[in-house]
Parts: sequence; C-alpha cells; structure tokens
Amino acid sequence: MSAVAAKPQAGGAMNPTAMGVGVVMLLILLGICWYISPVAGLSVLIGVIIGGVLIGFGTHFVPVGGAPAAMGQAPGIATGVAMLAAGAGLAGLFGGAWAAEQGVVVAVITGGVGGGLMMAITCMMVNFVYVFGMGIPSASGKVAKDPITGDTQAEYKSQGTEGHGLPFVSFVGGVIGGILGGAGGTLIYVELLGLYEQALPGVMNVTAAQVMPIAVSAAGMFAVGLFLVNAVLTAYNITGTIEGPHDPKFKRWPRSIVASAVASALCGLVAVLLVVPLPI
Amino acid sequence: MEHIVFGIGITALTGALATVAGAAEDTESNIGSQGDPNSQVQLAPQMGFLHRIFNKAVAGEPPAYGLWCALGAGLAWAFMAMQTNPVLAIVLGCVLATFVQGVYATTAYVGRTASLAKFGQPVYVDILKSMTTVTMAHAFIAIFCTVTLCHLINAALGHPFPLPLLGLIWGIALGAAGSATGNPYYGKERQYQNQKFGAGVPISASGNIVRYAEAGERNSIDNGWFTAKIGGSASGICFGLIVFLELWRTIVFEAINPWYAIIVGVLMILIFTVVDRYIEVWARKNYGPYTVAKEADA
Repeated sequence: MSAVAAKPQAGGAMNPTAMGVGVVMLLILLGICWYISPVAGLSVLIGVIIGGVLIGFGTHFVPVGGAPAAMGQAPGIATGVAMLAAGAGLAGLFGGAWAAEQGVVVAVITGGVGGGLMMAITCMMVNFVYVFGMGIPSASGKVAKDPITGDTQAEYKSQGTEGHGLPFVSFVGGVIGGILGGAGGTLIYVELLGLYEQALPGVMNVTAAQVMPIAVSAAGMFAVGLFLVNAVLTAYNITGTIEGPHDPKFKRWPRSIVASAVASALCGLVAVLLVVPLPI
Repeated sequence: MEHIVFGIGITALTGALATVAGAAEDTESNIGSQGDPNSQVQLAPQMGFLHRIFNKAVAGEPPAYGLWCALGAGLAWAFMAMQTNPVLAIVLGCVLATFVQGVYATTAYVGRTASLAKFGQPVYVDILKSMTTVTMAHAFIAIFCTVTLCHLINAALGHPFPLPLLGLIWGIALGAAGSATGNPYYGKERQYQNQKFGAGVPISASGNIVRYAEAGERNSIDNGWFTAKIGGSASGICFGLIVFLELWRTIVFEAINPWYAIIVGVLMILIFTVVDRYIEVWARKNYGPYTVAKEADA
C-alpha cells in the first residue's frame, strides 16, 4: 500500500497537537483540584475522569445507524448515538445507584450489567422486528465476514443498500457499550455521592441524615449530565453512524478519550467546587 | 419474605405499565414522524412528492421523552409536596406535561413544514388540528405510565433517586427503546410500502414515500394504526422487558446477596445473546441470500 493510500480519512485523522493541548488542559485541571483539595477532591475527580472515559469509549461500541437504518438502508440501530448510549447508560446508573450502599465495586459492576442488559434486550428486539416484522436478514456493510461468527455478509445485503439489521458482532458491541457506559455512569455517581455525604453536612450545617436527599439528587444530576456530555462528544467523533467495534470509525477512539477526559475533568471540578471551599 | 413478595408484585405492575408506555410512545412518535423516518417526510417535498404526513420532529425521541417525563414527574412531585393525593398529583403532572408536548408538536409541525414553502408544501391546518390531539392522547398514556412506574419504584421499592430524576432517566430509556425498535417498522414498512417486502429501501428511492391511502391521501393516523400492530407492540415488549427484568433481578436476588443479582444479570445477557443469534441464523436459513456468494465476492 502506498503512503497516500495508507493515509487515514480526513474525519478520522488524529491531530497530535490538539491531543497534546488536551492532555495539558487535563493536567492543569487536575493541578487546580490538587491545590484546592489535595486528598478527597482529587481522588473524586480522578474517579469522575475514569467514569467519563469509560462512557466515551463505550459509546464507540454501540451500533447506531441513524435515519438510514430506519429505512433498512444501513446496519445498526435506528436512532442517534448519544441518545441510545444515554438510554443504556442511564438504565445502568439506575441499577448502580440502588447498589451504591454495597460499595464501589458491587455498584459499578451492577451498573455495568444493567446497561448491558438494556442493550441486549434492545438489540434482540431490533433484530426481531427486522426479521419477523420486515423479513430482512442482518448484513454488515463494512466487513465481508462477521469477525465473531465468520458469517459472510455481502450476499445478504439487499440491492441498493449498505446492509441492514444487526449482525452478531454489532450485537456484542452494543452489549459491551452498554456495560462500559453503565459502569462509567455509576462510578461517577458513587464518587460524587461519597464526597457530598462527607462534605455537605459541614457546608450546610445540618445532620448527615438530613443531607442525604440533597447529596443523592446532586450526585445523580451530575452523573446524568456527565453522561450526556461524554455521549454527545463521542457522537461528534463518530460523525453520525457506526456499526460497532469492526467499523473503521472505531479506530478514532483515542481522540475521543482525550476529549472525554478533559470535559469530565472540567465538569468534575465544578462538581467538587460545589462543596469544597476555595483556599483564599 | 413478605417484602420480597410485595416487591415482585410491584415489579410486575411496573413491567405492565412499561409495556403500555412503550407501545404508546412508539405509536405517538410514528403519528408525529418523530423518529429517524422524519428525514424522509422532510425530504419528500424536496423531491417533488407533496404529502399530508404530520412531522413534529425537532428533537429525538429520547431527549423529548426525557423532558416530558421529567416534567410530569417533577410537577407530580411538587403536587405531592403540597399534600395532594399521589394519584391526582401524577394525573395533574402528566396533563400539564402533555400540554407542553402539544405546544411542542404544534410549533414543530408549523416550523418544519413552513421551511418547505419554497418546494410548494402547504401547512395543512386540518392536519394540525386532527393530528396534534391524537399525539397528545398517546403522549399522555406514555408519560402517565412512565411517571407512575417511577413513583412506584421510588415510593414502594425505595430507590434513592427523587421522582423528577427517575422521570428523566426512564423517559430517556423509554425514548431510546421505542425509537430503536419501532423506527425501522415505520420507516421501511409503512413509509415505503411501495417497495419490495423483505429488502431494504434502495438509496435511490429516498423521498418517494407512500402518499395515498385506499381512499384519498394518506395521513398520519393511518400510519399510527398500521405501526401499532408490530412496531408499537414490539417497542412495548422491549421497554417492558427492560424495566421488569432490571427490577426483578434486583428485588429478588440483591436482598439475598448483591453478587447473585449480578450473576443473574449476566445470565440474562447470555440468554438474550443466544436468542439474538438464533433469530439471525433463522433469517439467513429461511430467507436465504439476495445474490449468490460468487457474485458478491466479485
């Protein structure tokens, strides 16, 4: 392959300068947090960043076909990237928040399984409607063979389309995306909840029991907000549609990871500053 | 033990409410062309195909339902804080949220259709009057069922999130499940009923949506009637399964050991994976390829 042919597509090109600037911004935000709250605040912020990165990375796995998928013109689920990832991740957050009292590990895994279960049901029902409602078998437009099952794809594409339905690799990608999203959202929630439970009674001069509803609500709202921030950022990186982990667009994930880390750090810093007074 | 039996009963009720919510949501969005197929309704006049299809899409289903359910849940929560009976509070909250949906649908239809004036597409006032109320009725059912299940999760099952936040989360999940499952059936099977059954719509046919019914021009109530049969019920089953199984595994197994709930969740994912694979292989065997493999390789 020649050097010209090997050049990545314009939309997928990595910009080292921009990524370097992103990393510097991330370090600056971490430094600010370390200056304000070197122990509690910084550990929470790192948890929030890891959660945000998990959401951003997980969104790349979710097979989304947008409007063409709704006409059976392209494979994937017929809705938007950010919307589907948010739906799955928030269903996971719901379960994870319920298990928050059991500790970080159990809560995060519960959240991940909740997100994965939502995606497994949704992807199965999508194929159900395609096959039994519309009589259309699944076919990928991006690969000749399914990387997991080895099924050939090209002859199952109907004329004039790029494929349709959810091939098995896309189903697996959707479940992985739901797991990562649910786990990331729950991690953000659990970290912020722990900080708010500790700090809010002192800030508001009330008892720990009185502050619980406020702590849960604030941590929940920040978790939902951070979820949408990271899912939408990733949707811009994907530019519309993606079939799953076998899609060439999946290789763009490093760019999204840096962007998600910076955005999560900024939002997380605001969440920490709510309860940690400035040292002035 | 009594606590678990009570929890299972509430879980069954929330599953049933979620099923109705999913079916109503998909039918509402199809009457309003709110899902991804709205692109074809918007494209058709630009290709010279003027129509009488309602189009109120200015946001995707998940954020729109997130807004309406959060609004309904927030208002219901406020009424309950004022010591109103929860049933009345939920009904009042959902009625007010439905009015917001009606304003949204009206401005969206007028705005979207007016932008097509240069292609000769009229804004039909009779469509606005007849379709908006039908979408509002369906939206009320979807919002009421979702807010009620959120209230049950919060008040009866003891989830820590406040009602408005639960409304936002399950509203977005409702829109995601409904649009994922129901959109292809409306987009391919109804809008392109003039294309071959059992194949995707060729890209060259984009915009040529079916505009005529058995008598006169097709309108969006016809589309709601058609898609309610499979798209709506499949969306309802999808959202019902999500809510029911998520709550069931938590209520029954987390009380015994949190890891049991996780293991059961993983087993469910594996079962759905096997079912999905079975459906995929069944379709390949029974429908067969469109072209012979040799041609495809070439």
